[in-house]
Amino acid sequence: MFRFQSLEEDCPLEEEREALHGLVDEDDDIDQFNDDTFGSGAIDGDWREEHDRLAELDEKVGGTPPLQAPPPAAPAPSSLPHLYSRGLGERGPLSELDSLLLGGDENLAHSLSKLVLSTETDYGELEDPAIMRAGLQQHKRAPLQPRPQLNSGSIWDDAMGLGGMSIPKPLLSQVQDSPLMSIIKEVGLPKRPSMGRDERRDLSERAPPPRSTSPVIGSPPVTAVPIGTPPKHPTGHNPNQQILCPTPVHVRASMQQRFPGAFNDRMSPNQPLNLANSPLRGHAFPPGVGPVLSQLQRAQMIGAGQPAHLSPSHFSLNPALLQGRMGAMMSPAVGGGGFRPFFSPSPVRPGHNARAPQQYGATRGDTTHLHPQHRRLLTQRMQQQSGRGQNGAGGDRPQRLGGSQDRRRDPYSNLMTPREKEWVSRVQMMQLQSTDPYLDDYYYQNYFQKLEKRPSPTDGDAHKREHTKLITPQVAKLEHAYRPVQFAGSLGKLTVSSVNNPRKMIDTVVMTTRSDDEEKKEKQVWNKRRQILYTVEKTYSLLLDVQDFERKYLQTPEEERGALLEERRSKLGEMFENLRGKQTDANSHRFSDDHFLQIMRVRKGKHLVSRILPFLCMEHAVAVVMATARNLPYIAKKDAHDEVLPWLIEPFSIVIQHLTSGPLTDLLQDLTGLPGGPSELNSSTGNQQQAQSHTSTGQLGKVLLSKFGLTLLYLILSQGERLLSGDSNAEFTENNRWTDLVFGVTLELLKTPTASLAQPAFTPPALLSFFSRYVDRQKLNLLQDKLQLSPKPR
Amino acid sequence: MNYMPGTASLIEDIDKKHLVLLRDGRTLIGFLRSIDQFANLVLHQTVERIHVGKKYGDIPRGIFIVRGENVVLLGEIDLEKESDTPLQQVSIEEILEEQRVEQQAKQEADKLKLQALKERGLSIPRADTLDEY
Repeated sequence: MFRFQSLEEDCPLEEEREALHGLVDEDDDIDQFNDDTFGSGAIDGDWREEHDRLAELDEKVGGTPPLQAPPPAAPAPSSLPHLYSRGLGERGPLSELDSLLLGGDENLAHSLSKLVLSTETDYGELEDPAIMRAGLQQHKRAPLQPRPQLNSGSIWDDAMGLGGMSIPKPLLSQVQDSPLMSIIKEVGLPKRPSMGRDERRDLSERAPPPRSTSPVIGSPPVTAVPIGTPPKHPTGHNPNQQILCPTPVHVRASMQQRFPGAFNDRMSPNQPLNLANSPLRGHAFPPGVGPVLSQLQRAQMIGAGQPAHLSPSHFSLNPALLQGRMGAMMSPAVGGGGFRPFFSPSPVRPGHNARAPQQYGATRGDTTHLHPQHRRLLTQRMQQQSGRGQNGAGGDRPQRLGGSQDRRRDPYSNLMTPREKEWVSRVQMMQLQSTDPYLDDYYYQNYFQKLEKRPSPTDGDAHKREHTKLITPQVAKLEHAYRPVQFAGSLGKLTVSSVNNPRKMIDTVVMTTRSDDEEKKEKQVWNKRRQILYTVEKTYSLLLDVQDFERKYLQTPEEERGALLEERRSKLGEMFENLRGKQTDANSHRFSDDHFLQIMRVRKGKHLVSRILPFLCMEHAVAVVMATARNLPYIAKKDAHDEVLPWLIEPFSIVIQHLTSGPLTDLLQDLTGLPGGPSELNSSTGNQQQAQSHTSTGQLGKVLLSKFGLTLLYLILSQGERLLSGDSNAEFTENNRWTDLVFGVTLELLKTPTASLAQPAFTPPALLSFFSRYVDRQKLNLLQDKLQLSPKPR
Repeated sequence: MNYMPGTASLIEDIDKKHLVLLRDGRTLIGFLRSIDQFANLVLHQTVERIHVGKKYGDIPRGIFIVRGENVVLLGEIDLEKESDTPLQQVSIEEILEEQRVEQQAKQEADKLKLQALKERGLSIPRADTLDEY
């Protein structure tokens, strides 16, 4: 590396070189090493000639003769400062900076110098030699000169390696408004002791050349300063910028300390580049190339493609660029130079589309494979385009928010390229692949459905506003048939178990040693319970299918909807069958309540019934209600522990409200167990009930004691009241059964002591008027007191 | 570009100032520069903030790379509202001192508690024998 530093054949740093390279003496070997490191395109052209030319020029300028006398031998890191100090010591004062800027903008120069001066602070902590070394490297060049040699000296010519104070006039005006300028203002331009020839000479003295951006296809983009190195800006003068860690300032300050003579006061964002690229040949730069912000960004630029090689993917990135690229510190001059930072944080608006073509042009893919000259030309072209665009748009830059202002000036932004972001999101999307989103991501899908159904708060935007939904990739469901592992030539199949294919490992047989009768009975009981639970579970899954039916219905096309409906109906029928149980007697076509009762014993069964009831057809629902009513005492007793019956109140009430007089009467009869003549549904059990009713704690009595029962009773009665009041024809009133039943009820109500009467879930208001139809005044008052029936309002 | 709408993706948070709470209890504040699919974070200009009572102190740490599994939570800091806090910033030395004092007090309290429990025949399993969570 140090080889290239030497001005003459007798390398002043020979000692270091030898020390570093150990046994390597041969030039050839060093060349080989260089090639290995930098790529075979590292040296393109005869740098020696270039160097000589530079040296001559330097002589002409006068003053310092070319570096003939080698600086005193010193360890490698510190040799550089010596070189620099010699070279830079002669740099002129600030006025040179003005001249350098081609008199284009003296104000700028002044402000910059002021800025740079003011950034000096004393930290003096960081003494990382690597950073020191890097900090020392400066490069100066004369961008003013036309680039005579575009072919040779490629690494020196590299567009990226620009730095230094010289901002040629055309470029200066370009960059005037750009965020680049703001960075430069913040950070200051590097000291530019002398332009042109001097620099060139100095450059040749400087630290190792930047690693070449080799044109060899396939070699990685090379950066002079490793990619991870942050740009070394003095950060003192950025009030808006949130710098939490003062380290960068440390670096800069300490560098200043150590090498007071070496630099002028000004550092620049280009400093790292300057330093790194010092030996760059000054003259061989494209016209209009300006300072570069940071090595890092330069590296990024290198990585960025060129317009000529844009693929559709680059275009697809552009929306991201358009929207997200804030504070992109791309130099207008450099590499992806044409890339203009996008000022507005808002999504692309129509006004910005004008920029779009330029932005497209600005995007660059991987340019490492291009010839550096080619790359340079493209860069120039891009930057010219963007320069034009920049000037045009400079005046009407959109308003920025405070936050975006910071982002815009944040030199570290966009370390993560859109490509990387895309990659991360692609990986994340891959993880979301699913064959059945409803299965894998139920809650998100549900949430989104609700969101879309919900009426939007504002009326105007109801149709315009679209909720952005994440479209997850849907993968077709593949049936992977298990194919057992087979070896060629072997007989039979090997059993290799895996996660997806679990196989039995041990042959075990369950031996039941206990075979007592008790055990058997117990087991039978357990089996029965299990059976019931199993039925409940099956019915639940049917229920869930029916509930999902609506969604499926919406998704299937018209033709298949009929089939879906059929399916639904059959499922409902099946559910009811599950509840009802098998026929007791094949001949009689009668169903005992047993099965239903068993289900009702289980907590889950009761919940199931409450959920199923809304879905069942009327007939089935009534049957369920009746069965419940019939066996209320038993059910209520079994529910004492679970207390789930209140869940049933609501679905029951809905069913009851749809009952007409006939079924209602039957229901009341079933509930009360009072004799009222044969009911349609339980002729067989009528006798039993008759016998029951005579006992004091008959069914009705028990009903009254249970909260659920009482509520149910009230519901029935209030429905009756409703029917009575609404029924114009006197059919209901003629119904003797009903009247008898009601009498029975009132009797029972009066009989039971108030204390033991249950508290109903609610008291229908119409009860008072209802009872008034049937009982006399005295009893009515009694009832009123007992049941705490409020007098009918109005 | 709207990266992954409706999800908790960190892509939109890049280049913004974040507060990150780690599993070991540390609070880091820095600019989120890069992420990956495991939510490993690269924080830039990171500052470790130590809170004791109403005071806090910032220790500049530079660049942090945090393994995703060690993050408890993270959230964006609103730069405008950032200074809008009733907490008082103190110097590093002071906050470290405060922290030490607090730790000491806690240890004392724990010791007493342990003693009391021992007297009653109970014991608290020691933290090092427990899994973290």
